[in-house]
Amino acid sequence: MYSKVVHMALFKEEQIDHAAEAITRLRSLGIPDRDISVISGIPYSERILDRPMSWTRVGLIGLAGAVAGFIIALLFAFGTPFLYPLRVADMPIFFPIPTSIVVVFEITMLGLLISTFIGVFVETISPSYGPKGYHPKVSDGNIAVLFSGPMDLNEKFHSTFAELGATLEHDVEEEKLWL
Amino acid sequence: MAAEAKIFGKVQTAEQEHEDPTEQLMFDPRPREEMNRMVMEMMTTTTKKFWLFFFGLGGGVVVLLFGAWGYMISTGMWVTGLHRPIYWGVFIVTFVFWIGISHAGTFVSAILRVFKSEFRRPFTRAAELMTTFGLAAGALYPLIHLGRVWVFYFMVPYPNARWLWPNFRSPLVWDLLAITTYLLSSTIYLFLPLVPDLAMARDRTTGIRHMAYKILALGWRGTEAEWFRLKKAIQIFAFAIIPVMFSVHTIVSWDFAVSQVAGWHSTIFGPYFIVGAILSGVAAVVTILFVLRSTLKHMDYFLRPEHFDALGKLLLVFSFAWGYFFFNDYLLGWYGGEAAVRQLLTAHASGPAAWIWYTMLICNIGIPWLTLWNRKIRRTPWLMFIITLLINVGMYAERFTIIPLTLGHQRTPFDWGVYTPRPIELAIVLGTFCLFAFLYLVMSRLIPLVPVWEVQEGQVAHTLRKVGKAEIPTVTDLE
Amino acid sequence: MAEVSKEIAAKWGLVVDQDRCTGCNACVVACSMENNVPFGGEDNVAFGRGTYWIYNKRLWEGEYPEVAPAFQPVMCQQCGSAPCEPVCPTFASVHSEEEQINLMVYNRCIGTRYCANNCPYHARQFNWQDPDIPEPMNSYLNPDVTVRRRGVMEKCTFCVQRIVAGRQTAADENRPMADGDVTPACVAACPSGALVFGNLSDPNSRVSQMAANERQYKLMDELGTKPKVTYLKGGGRNGG
Repeated sequence: MYSKVVHMALFKEEQIDHAAEAITRLRSLGIPDRDISVISGIPYSERILDRPMSWTRVGLIGLAGAVAGFIIALLFAFGTPFLYPLRVADMPIFFPIPTSIVVVFEITMLGLLISTFIGVFVETISPSYGPKGYHPKVSDGNIAVLFSGPMDLNEKFHSTFAELGATLEHDVEEEKLWL
Repeated sequence: MAAEAKIFGKVQTAEQEHEDPTEQLMFDPRPREEMNRMVMEMMTTTTKKFWLFFFGLGGGVVVLLFGAWGYMISTGMWVTGLHRPIYWGVFIVTFVFWIGISHAGTFVSAILRVFKSEFRRPFTRAAELMTTFGLAAGALYPLIHLGRVWVFYFMVPYPNARWLWPNFRSPLVWDLLAITTYLLSSTIYLFLPLVPDLAMARDRTTGIRHMAYKILALGWRGTEAEWFRLKKAIQIFAFAIIPVMFSVHTIVSWDFAVSQVAGWHSTIFGPYFIVGAILSGVAAVVTILFVLRSTLKHMDYFLRPEHFDALGKLLLVFSFAWGYFFFNDYLLGWYGGEAAVRQLLTAHASGPAAWIWYTMLICNIGIPWLTLWNRKIRRTPWLMFIITLLINVGMYAERFTIIPLTLGHQRTPFDWGVYTPRPIELAIVLGTFCLFAFLYLVMSRLIPLVPVWEVQEGQVAHTLRKVGKAEIPTVTDLE
Repeated sequence: MAEVSKEIAAKWGLVVDQDRCTGCNACVVACSMENNVPFGGEDNVAFGRGTYWIYNKRLWEGEYPEVAPAFQPVMCQQCGSAPCEPVCPTFASVHSEEEQINLMVYNRCIGTRYCANNCPYHARQFNWQDPDIPEPMNSYLNPDVTVRRRGVMEKCTFCVQRIVAGRQTAADENRPMADGDVTPACVAACPSGALVFGNLSDPNSRVSQMAANERQYKLMDELGTKPKVTYLKGGGRNGG
């Protein structure tokens, strides 16, 4: 394994076409997609940048939470009357279905929404692959292409990015952005 | 000819009809750096007036809300104006009012997001913040109005020694579940799109603020995976929070509709309350946007007459819808001919408190229908401020009519009663208004009130396209 | 764990003969003494906060000048399908399977006052403040009945403590309960015999016989609350 250094190319906000072009050129220089990552101030879809689709499990985690909420709701609505049966008016003691629908709906939604958030939280703080690095200019709308490649390609990187009008930084350190 | 059509004796040319697109925020882009700077300045500028309001409202919360509430807890509910047969008064009225207000945030940001209405972009966060704080103020009332607030947890489902659980058939337990769900999910829904803006604030601050933003931004960098995940989560929330929002106010309406009280037991109450909630909520959004626009630095760049215009149209539509549902409720009650309901309707319209009923009709129907059709009025922020304040006065009157005025006029004339709120009740109500304004005021200096990334995303997506001889505004879907 | 009793012991019921009621309010006084109902004082009563488990509605009959007062004592109707029960979030208002009446559990009440709004008879009362019982008035308190603190609802219980006492006496004497074993305070105090209490499931009891009278009606029967209280009023016919 050759030693990899993380480089960062900063494009101005209107240079999205150039950033997309740069990724194509990096690929032709032999940098695989997993060694490239793009950070930007507004979301650009993978189709715009011609990059492999990201994946996320928040949908699935949300669904799991909804199922958990649904089960808890069923226990509340249909289980708790067995623990202490009490009659109110003429309503059935054990299976009051119409009123339970409300309870089941609310707790299912609560499960879905909370676990979606937990999903986002856990995925965000879990370690991610791809080159790390950050520049405050990204939140100013700049687009940064981060990539790691062998040192001996440095000159080629320089000429490529100079042509596309980006500034290139080498050896970007991983900044500690969270706790 | 066509270009010089004569309307009401005034010559109008195609030029005059056409609005300059750069009057719209989306066609008047500024560099992100500048927008960031504007938003940061908005957040960090505090004037003398700010501190005056800060201490004034904070003092209001302490004295009016906590002081008066504490006094009421220590002495009992006799300090209120409630008596038989009117057991629910301004507390429940204000509860419904706040829950109604809280609907607009979701309506504006979730429904308009789902339908990709572009005018929502600069004020989604202001609206969501209103939802969260409106709920926070409203959620206090089910506690405030309790006779024994110190045992409120009897309502919460938790295992106890007797294995006695709450009564899941009671609308009040549904209320608890629905409001908890809505409060948590709307807070998260406020937080999720805030993360990239917190990262922006993190990059531009030092000291304690920097630390706080750093923690809250969860190490946001803006990678493709992060954006993808965020958009996915926002999408799940936008779709899922809409039925939750509908359920919350429907359940609030069921507090009344499941009962056998004449005038409450109505199947139309669910949608009627929802429409009323959205009407009052959107009106409150406009009110708040006006306040933000006139007090916050640089806000007039982000909030423009076009936004008041668009929200004004929405208000007009919901005012029509409210009138429709109100009439439905009224006509069927009147036609049904049940003596108690007929008498109740007569009492509302001609009893001693009829002025409340007329205030409701004038403010909810008369004023919006007479004014909001006019584009000039819709585009004049201060006029919209007054109109929307009046709409909320009308909506408050509606809830007052529905709750104490209806309770006081039930089936047995022997038990009729009149309710007048007492000072302690009014102080607590005023206290929650202070609480809402105070939280909003504080938050306006702590988080970026304008979702900068969403505004920029919109500006990138909007372009002017030349079709024939004219430049036509177009939107590109970047997703 | 609570058991749902299979056997229905008695279905207690009350008959109010409005044609006999003189409006003397002795029932109200007796009820207040029996059930430790606090005296609110003049101002509270005028404001609508007088706590009465039974109250006597004074209505006017006829057109002026030919008016005559009519009295209608109203207490909790012990509905078979009570509107106050399902709306309570904490099961403080529940149906008693054993007595077939509507129970109010003070300790579980958190004071939402929803039940009071939902009671079409306005029979439920709220404790707006702590009862003021100065010495030596506390000696009058009935030890069989809880003194309620502020913030809870309360209402007529058909003197459930007397029902229990009657049942226990009968059990001690090894005999089934007879008609007249249980007499709530209001019934005992009524000088004109306008109130009759007893077991409605026994067709021979006095209350059953009276409830079958031609003059009978139930308060707001159309609401479907299945009240256990029957009113008798002839309106000039049927001996009324």
